[in-house]
Amino acid sequence: MSGRLDAIPGLAPLIAFIALLIAWEATARAIGIEGLPPASQALVQVPAILGDPESLLNIAASLRRMAIGFALALCFAIPVGLTMGRSRRIAAFFNPLLMVIYPVPKAALMPIIMLWLGVGDASKTLVIFLGVTLPIIYHSYQGSRAVEEKILWSAAAMGMGPLARLTRIVLPAALPEILVGCRTGLVLALITMVTSEMIARQTGVGNILFNSLDMAQYDTVYAMILIIGGLGYALDFAFERLHRRLVGWAAPAYDIVVGTT
Amino acid sequence: MLVVRQREPNAVVDAAMIKIDNVSKIFETKRDRHHVAITDVSLAVAEGEFVSILGPSGCGKSTLLYVVGGFVMPSTGSVTVNGRPVTGPGPDRGPVFQEFALFPWKTVLGNVMYGLEQTGTATAEARLRARELIARVHLSAYENFYPKELSGGMKQRVALARTLAYRPSILLMDEPFGALDAHTRTRLQNDLLEIWERDRKTVLFVTHGVEEAVFLSDRVAIMTRSPGRIKEVISIDLPRPRDRATLLLDRRYQDLIVQIEQLMDVPAEEQHR
Repeated sequence: MSGRLDAIPGLAPLIAFIALLIAWEATARAIGIEGLPPASQALVQVPAILGDPESLLNIAASLRRMAIGFALALCFAIPVGLTMGRSRRIAAFFNPLLMVIYPVPKAALMPIIMLWLGVGDASKTLVIFLGVTLPIIYHSYQGSRAVEEKILWSAAAMGMGPLARLTRIVLPAALPEILVGCRTGLVLALITMVTSEMIARQTGVGNILFNSLDMAQYDTVYAMILIIGGLGYALDFAFERLHRRLVGWAAPAYDIVVGTT
Repeated sequence: MLVVRQREPNAVVDAAMIKIDNVSKIFETKRDRHHVAITDVSLAVAEGEFVSILGPSGCGKSTLLYVVGGFVMPSTGSVTVNGRPVTGPGPDRGPVFQEFALFPWKTVLGNVMYGLEQTGTATAEARLRARELIARVHLSAYENFYPKELSGGMKQRVALARTLAYRPSILLMDEPFGALDAHTRTRLQNDLLEIWERDRKTVLFVTHGVEEAVFLSDRVAIMTRSPGRIKEVISIDLPRPRDRATLLLDRRYQDLIVQIEQLMDVPAEEQHR
């Protein structure tokens, strides 16, 4: 059975998706409440949303903020995590801070950040940045710490200084682990992106979603949820391709992403 | 038993390429706790000499090698290489570790080229030299393989080629064949001797194998445990090039093995208690 499912790539996820839609359709028809329209009604709305220029602008605005927040987080978190992993003193400085910040739901900071930066792009980008930073720091730190001392010694014997060792030895050696953090970070970026727009509605995916909810356009709400899910799937797929290119030299180590806001 | 530390003949000391002077290393393990790894070790190694440091595990022989490599700073004493005090690692001293320590994101060729590019060799030239060394360790067919695809013996060949590539004048070998099975170890010992006999680099070779030390070395420094110190230095006056099969039947070789095994037999802990 599993052999036949594997034979055509993408067949298994397709079957799972169709099964979900059928279950949804059946449940919605059986219960028949307004807040849960059948899958068929939501699906019809998907091309309508994607065909509407204004919606596309909203989605593009969301993705742009997410990309900027994610990129800023990479630039900040990877160097911090890598240096933490190589210096006990720097780790001792940052670790307690991270422990305090970790359990704080980043999207819940949105109202406070809006007081500083307003309701525009800056606040939302900052919240995405905050949401993404910690898992990437954490995994960069773990990856950096795990780099074998003898590998660093070998590089030192070749005449590499501390900074060169960090960028040319620790970074590539820790890359598989860093990418685990990035994958979690990507999912969190999507989550914080939507939640930030729920709190500060102006543009974006969340804007469409929550405005439709307010106006009781439930089929649009569910269509947007499908679109967000699709975005997540597409991003993860693209990330997997990149991952295979970057760290094909390491054995595949993970499959499941666990993340919380 | 009274242990007399053998003094180096003066000629050797004068021509010494590596001079280890009264080196001690104390590690601070936890608060107020110390571990004395090596105490008051002196040893001189001449240019082109193959010297093994032989001792039981935990006697600090690797620590001594790391001090020479500049990876670990001595607590007291000093090491000079070619007359210059060692203050850190450098390409004049190439390490080969038991753990191979290859760069896992680089292919065999990439690994061997890495040190060359680091020390300023142009890419094309580095590739040529790397290929030549990969051929010398019999891995030409595996040039584009990643370390995870290689066996332990092959990895250690790559590590050896990677270090030889940037032409260190001294090889520091830290139980390089310790993680290999007996058959592979024997083959790598033969290969190492063949390579060494060609360009006669100075080698400091850490091992706990008596036969390995005798087979490879010009001199064997025997270390004792807790605290690690050199108990005796034995000259291995066996003719070169050496052939394992001939040596195994050689009376002198057998005597050296027995002599060294007896020297090692006295547990250091009991001696010092």
